[in-house]
Amino acid sequence: MNKQSTIYSMIFMFIVAFAFVFLLSLTNQATAERVDLNQEVARKSAILSALGVEAESDEEVLERFEDVEQLERDGTTIFETTVDGETVFGKEFAGSGLWGTIEGVLGVNGDISRTVGLEIIDHNETPGLGGRITEGWFKEQFEGERIAEDGITFTSGDGDTDYDNAEVDGITGATRTTESMERIINGEFEKLQSLVGGNA
Amino acid sequence: MSDTAQSKTIGGIVKGNLWTNNPIFMQVLGICSALAVTNLLTNTVIMSAGVIFTMGMTNFTVSLLKSLMPRKVRMMVQTLIIAFYVIIVDLVLKAYLPSISENLGPYVGLIITNCIIMGRAEAFAQSNGPLLSMWDGVTSAAGYMGVLLTIALFRELLGFGALFGFQVMPEGFVPWIIMVMPPSAFFLIGIIIWIGKSIMMRQGELAS
Repeated sequence: MNKQSTIYSMIFMFIVAFAFVFLLSLTNQATAERVDLNQEVARKSAILSALGVEAESDEEVLERFEDVEQLERDGTTIFETTVDGETVFGKEFAGSGLWGTIEGVLGVNGDISRTVGLEIIDHNETPGLGGRITEGWFKEQFEGERIAEDGITFTSGDGDTDYDNAEVDGITGATRTTESMERIINGEFEKLQSLVGGNA
Repeated sequence: MSDTAQSKTIGGIVKGNLWTNNPIFMQVLGICSALAVTNLLTNTVIMSAGVIFTMGMTNFTVSLLKSLMPRKVRMMVQTLIIAFYVIIVDLVLKAYLPSISENLGPYVGLIITNCIIMGRAEAFAQSNGPLLSMWDGVTSAAGYMGVLLTIALFRELLGFGALFGFQVMPEGFVPWIIMVMPPSAFFLIGIIIWIGKSIMMRQGELAS
């Protein structure tokens, strides 16, 4: 058969495309379960971390998550658990950042007077700049920061180690991401306040 | 490009792909990913490993299929093969290295558009045997990796004061924010091309 003919080209393309796509779907099938499990563990691990519950391995994450209660309030899921005898609430959030949606979990204590933890699940911020919201130093600022009447203020300048002043450090060089996070987080405090405030 | 007998030997291919015909600083291909993934060494290593695998396997497969491939659809077939291996890399990362897959985000998928891969498939694999083509792909990707690692070394060291995530610069070190942002890779690539070409000129390896 003439290899340069249109018919041959079409048949060749069809067979090649079929073979490769078939192999790909097999690979996808083979890994799908693991990928789903990874996503589930990642989500649960983020929720636990925001609630201040420590869990290292995948099994531990799934096990500890059993103790977390899920409350339905106005169609929103609120996570509730007890850490060291204190009630803590967690809520998943999503809000627009500079380039895309920032998704994460925010944890607060029973009377919403202090944050317990912050965890970022997904974002599209600039790697190395806005993307630093996923770094330890940034998230650790929310482990016990006081929430003032008007929420938490993100400041510039460095070295805010005072957990009682309701201020955290923003990210240098990522002003827009910092502003977005400030807006999202303070919005979440209000939502949490109206959803679970007063009946802890 | 010199297609002499010497450049088709195993050693000749290595020398060409790593140095005299390096995909980044001689052919100036694959620049977009060189800008995007080089601010952290770990990301660069995983990304380059993905490129090495994709390029080796693509060249191997293209070379195997070359006698069956009609000329007019060869570009489509090459793209299909490249996409196939890239999606495999992406799936494997998602399943076994979820945190790194998270870090690299869309850049793994973007290996498909890395012009070096198609360039080598078209320039080398279309006219050479499968194993030699695979070798060419692997070493070409290694040339790419070498340059990217050099850039990432400077960017992470100066931008974060760290190497592979470990803090190495002293306490008072002020990070250079510019190094974290893509433009710095342009300057660094420019400097690398300058240094590379200067050395070659001195050695008389640049014929032009």
